[in-house]
Amino acid sequence: MSIKFVICLNKQGVLRLIRVFEPFPGDAASNQSTIAQIYKLISSRDHKHQSNFVEFSDSTKLVYRRYAGLYFVLGVELQDEELIYLSHIHLFVEVLDAFFGNVCELDIVFNFHKAYMILDELIIGGEIQETSKDVILERISYLDRLN
Amino acid sequence: MGSLRTFIKDVRGAKTLAEERSIVTKESARIRTKLKDDHLPQDKRRKNIHKLLYLHILGEKTHFAQVECINLIASDDFRDKRIGYLAAVILLDENQEILTLLTNLLNSDLNHPNRYVVSLALSALGSLTSPELARDLYTDVESILARSTDEFLVKKALQCAAKIVQRDAALLEIFYPYIESILKSHHLSSHGVRLGVAKLCQAAILSRSQYEYDNYPEILQSLVLNIPEFYSLLQDMNATNFNPEYNVNGTCDPFLQVELLYTLRLLFELAPQETERYKDKLNDLLTQIATNSDGTKNSAHAVLYECVRTIFALQLEQSLKVLGVNVLAKFLSGKDNNTKYVALNTLLLVVPQEPHAVQKHRKFVSRCLFDPDVSIRTRAVELTFAILDSSNMKELIGELSSFLKASGEQDKDLIVFVVDHLIELFELHAVGHDNWAIDVMVDLLKVVGQHIALEKVSEIMMMINNLRDLDHKSKLIKQVLQISLGKSDGGVSGDNLGWKLVSVWCIGEYGDILLQNSYFLDTELTGYLTLLNGLYSHNVKIISYILTAALKLSAKIQNPACNEDLRQIIKGHMKDTNLILQAKSSQYSIIFNQPAKQKQDVLGAMPFFERKNKNGNSKSDSKPDTKIQEPNLLLDLLESTPASNGQTKNDSQTLASIFGDQPSNNTANVATEETSHVTIPIPSDAVHAYNSSDMDVSIKVDSVAPSEAKLDLYVKAHAPIKNLQVLAAVSKTQKLVMGTLSNHSIAAGQVSRQELKVTGSGKLKFRIKLVHESPTGTQIEQFDHKLDQSL
Repeated sequence: MSIKFVICLNKQGVLRLIRVFEPFPGDAASNQSTIAQIYKLISSRDHKHQSNFVEFSDSTKLVYRRYAGLYFVLGVELQDEELIYLSHIHLFVEVLDAFFGNVCELDIVFNFHKAYMILDELIIGGEIQETSKDVILERISYLDRLN
Repeated sequence: MGSLRTFIKDVRGAKTLAEERSIVTKESARIRTKLKDDHLPQDKRRKNIHKLLYLHILGEKTHFAQVECINLIASDDFRDKRIGYLAAVILLDENQEILTLLTNLLNSDLNHPNRYVVSLALSALGSLTSPELARDLYTDVESILARSTDEFLVKKALQCAAKIVQRDAALLEIFYPYIESILKSHHLSSHGVRLGVAKLCQAAILSRSQYEYDNYPEILQSLVLNIPEFYSLLQDMNATNFNPEYNVNGTCDPFLQVELLYTLRLLFELAPQETERYKDKLNDLLTQIATNSDGTKNSAHAVLYECVRTIFALQLEQSLKVLGVNVLAKFLSGKDNNTKYVALNTLLLVVPQEPHAVQKHRKFVSRCLFDPDVSIRTRAVELTFAILDSSNMKELIGELSSFLKASGEQDKDLIVFVVDHLIELFELHAVGHDNWAIDVMVDLLKVVGQHIALEKVSEIMMMINNLRDLDHKSKLIKQVLQISLGKSDGGVSGDNLGWKLVSVWCIGEYGDILLQNSYFLDTELTGYLTLLNGLYSHNVKIISYILTAALKLSAKIQNPACNEDLRQIIKGHMKDTNLILQAKSSQYSIIFNQPAKQKQDVLGAMPFFERKNKNGNSKSDSKPDTKIQEPNLLLDLLESTPASNGQTKNDSQTLASIFGDQPSNNTANVATEETSHVTIPIPSDAVHAYNSSDMDVSIKVDSVAPSEAKLDLYVKAHAPIKNLQVLAAVSKTQKLVMGTLSNHSIAAGQVSRQELKVTGSGKLKFRIKLVHESPTGTQIEQFDHKLDQSL
């Protein structure tokens, strides 16, 4: 049970966040095409009538969810439990929302480093480390003030 | 040089792609120059790296800044360290050599008096745990576990410890005592810490195969002793008055619950004997969770789903398994496609264990056949075949037919899959000759004829040909032609090639039945062939069938005008650019000119057709003595003309002598059949692995790369083996890909080869299971084999 990567894309397929815990196969140049494939795969799916899971390669499954204009995508092992990862995404989005106050895409564009900081308090090396929204929020609002 | 914000704004404000590129390239070049400046103030350095991280998101090259990350981490300023570590985890990965430069910095930061610095270092180590860093820094992580009372640091240190154990199993020796001590500590009771404990425990279990010291039983024992603690945690979370801080839509911390259940599952799987005395309690606990969680939210489903996975992974009591299947059925009956998806996936795995419990819910499965989500439809189709048996066959095939009728172009692969499996299934249950089975296939052909391979259409023809109920047969082919000739509407689309092929074939084979009592007119049938001959002149397969049909029909009609049309069809291809058609047409025109009597004898209907499997063994039980091995289809056709025509034999011999030397159009088939007879030699360096009364098994290692090995398994049969299946398992650190099995049926003394590919790490060892049918029934043989090589 481990997350291989977290990415956040907007509806046009523009990358907004990327955190890779298990390096993508191939060199850095092929990362872009991997992301393009992921976007192609999930954007073609009907987000009301289709499941939020899709097999991506013979070792990776995508668990994703769209919030307004942003897709949050996790790459996980094929045999992992899918449902709990949806809760991971939701927790991340809830924390983003509480931290930025009604988060929108622009918040993430201009404050990507803060979004990364939140992710680092939620997930460590691909594993979830904290599940309490309050604990995470308290922590990051303190860290945010350390400027 | 502007701020990060201005830079992002500029990039976003670019009106064209070219303008954006130029902004990005300029900035990237500027950063590169600035990084070389040793006297740049620290705040400028931070700004550069912030911009660089934005460039990384844009997909730009950032490798030139790796050293700068290290420089920032080395700074004493917390702000420098923070951005330095962030950049390091994003720009580096654990395979890069530059990580060695990090070792000393991490070492001092892990021991830093400021807890926020320690926390940064732990986060970085958790993301970048190379085996070298694991070995160099484990003592620092251990001292945090041993001394710190800060829950933030302990939870991160536990996660790091789990990663370290994954990278170097020997270090488990150092870390395992902390599982128990921290779990029992009253000061460290946050859920974050418990997640860390669960992770470390999982790592301890999963690293068993790599752990080389002999005190593993001791470690295992200490892990097992924690089970009651895990139970009480789960019980508390399922009590009604749980801590509201962890409430996720009415479920208490589903994340921790799932991790704990997963940990328990691994532990029970690894140590069935040691955990035996805790099993009853586990049954109770899972029953409690499965019956009490009635939430409709994803969080509740996640916990329920993990419960069900545990029940089936551990093969718990029958009553729990039924409960598990019922939970999944409830998932299926809901509206949420996510739960439907996981339920179908799990049911597919569960069917072999609990076929009847799953069958009970077949209505829900059938409903998923019509789901708008193709991944759900695909799984529902698979599951339908998995639960299908003789008791529910008609019902489920009915459902599958309605599925096929509702499906369209986008389901092409699925359609092919269903048709293939139906044909196999009819054969397996030996119902291929039943009227209803053929009705189903012909009915399906109406909707799927344009999607399936023409070889599969031949299978349907074979079924029609072998139909024993002659009244039904003539009724069926009349129906087919009614539709083809536009006399009744069957909803067959114009591009349904499969349907047309069957129609053409029926005209050739059963022209006499169709013409009886002027049910159809000879001009209609001839006209149909002429029409298709014109329409599909480029399609070799159809033209071949038309040629044969034209020839056969000519023996059954008297009308000279029609006969002339048929002759024209055949003659028309004598100069065809396709050699096969040309040969065929030339051969046929010779037969065409034979006297009517002789033609009738030669061109009678096909006999009962024996299905050949790939090894050329006759599978059918009805006529085991008939062997159809002649390479020439035409001879096949001639020699077995119904016995009622006494003098056939002589005529066919005459004809055989005419065509004896003609190139045969199915040499390709014969060739593939023959290759499967070729004996596979067992290489001399193959290692003998197993033998039994039925077979000898040897294994040969083809190649061992650092993380990939290729092997071949040779099975030599002592007695004839049918339907051989090879199943194999490798240790948990490895993955196995099964290649092809060269032969599913082996004659005595022959050999079949199975290709295996193993990736991962650790010693190469296998558990192999061989399932096959011998004259005395289905046999299962199993053995374990260790090789000297390791990955």
